[in-house]
Amino acid sequence: METKNEDLFLQSLDGSVTPEQKEMLTHELAGDFHLRKSADQFLRIREKLKRSEPDSFGPFFAERIINKIKNLKQEVDYQIFFFFKKYQVAVIGVVVALLVLNIIFSDNLSIRSVLGFEDQPKEDTVAINLYQDLIN
Amino acid sequence: MAIESDQELVQNTLTGDLSAFKTLVNRHEGKVAGVVRSMLGQTAEAEDVGQEVFIRFYESLGKFRGDSAVSTYLTRIAINLSLNELKRRKRRFSLFASDDEATHVKAKDETHDLNEMLDMEFKRLEPEFRTVATLRLVEGYSTEETAEILNLPMGTVMSRLARAQKKLKEGLSKYLET
Repeated sequence: METKNEDLFLQSLDGSVTPEQKEMLTHELAGDFHLRKSADQFLRIREKLKRSEPDSFGPFFAERIINKIKNLKQEVDYQIFFFFKKYQVAVIGVVVALLVLNIIFSDNLSIRSVLGFEDQPKEDTVAINLYQDLIN
Repeated sequence: MAIESDQELVQNTLTGDLSAFKTLVNRHEGKVAGVVRSMLGQTAEAEDVGQEVFIRFYESLGKFRGDSAVSTYLTRIAINLSLNELKRRKRRFSLFASDDEATHVKAKDETHDLNEMLDMEFKRLEPEFRTVATLRLVEGYSTEETAEILNLPMGTVMSRLARAQKKLKEGLSKYLET
């Protein structure tokens, strides 16, 4: 019974009670010493728990947060930079490898052959003389 | 100069204005410190968690639609991160659980005032009870607000609050007699 009344008392503090419940609680509190004592102890605990002054993490807390955010931003920038850098290095590596392969497998060492354009031997070129053709 | 609302400060932060975010931190530090310290005690991790709360908030600003107040949003993050820290702490110290119990018994034997014992008993509450007690009894949120922050039904909040208070009263019975 006492627990039930205790619950009702706590409910009156944290929720809502009907007028009938309120009347019953007032009646019980007036007649029951143990309930009154218990209610008083609950109220003391609640009073002690209530924050009396605003808490703080100490001076310059906001500055520390801002610095942390700036550092995080920098870290992200570095990550993005190195993410692309990785691909740049890979592309350059492939290009160099292709150039080396071309140098190894081409017959001569001209810039054209290194870049993959085959040098046309002079004897293979066909002279086209349109003017001559028209005369003939 | 007119005081900017939280929503305006959020908008300014989104445009890259870090001083607006600094104002938000200064404005809500007290609330976050209260929640985190109440959940974790005056420990070194409490400030780390406090910093993490604001960093998480900064990172999620783009998703913040302003449906709830900034303080409610921050309190929710603070509670979640504190609960994570308590879980981590439990895992870390699970081997030394008996030590914790021994400390408690020793503390009871010595002369302590009600404030110290209340602090100790509060820390002994299970996280789900400590959470509701922190929001409702320490920080002074209404029962409805507590339910909203924790995304719990009102009935659950009420029953947890009642149990938390009964546990505290039980643990402090000797000290409450005087």
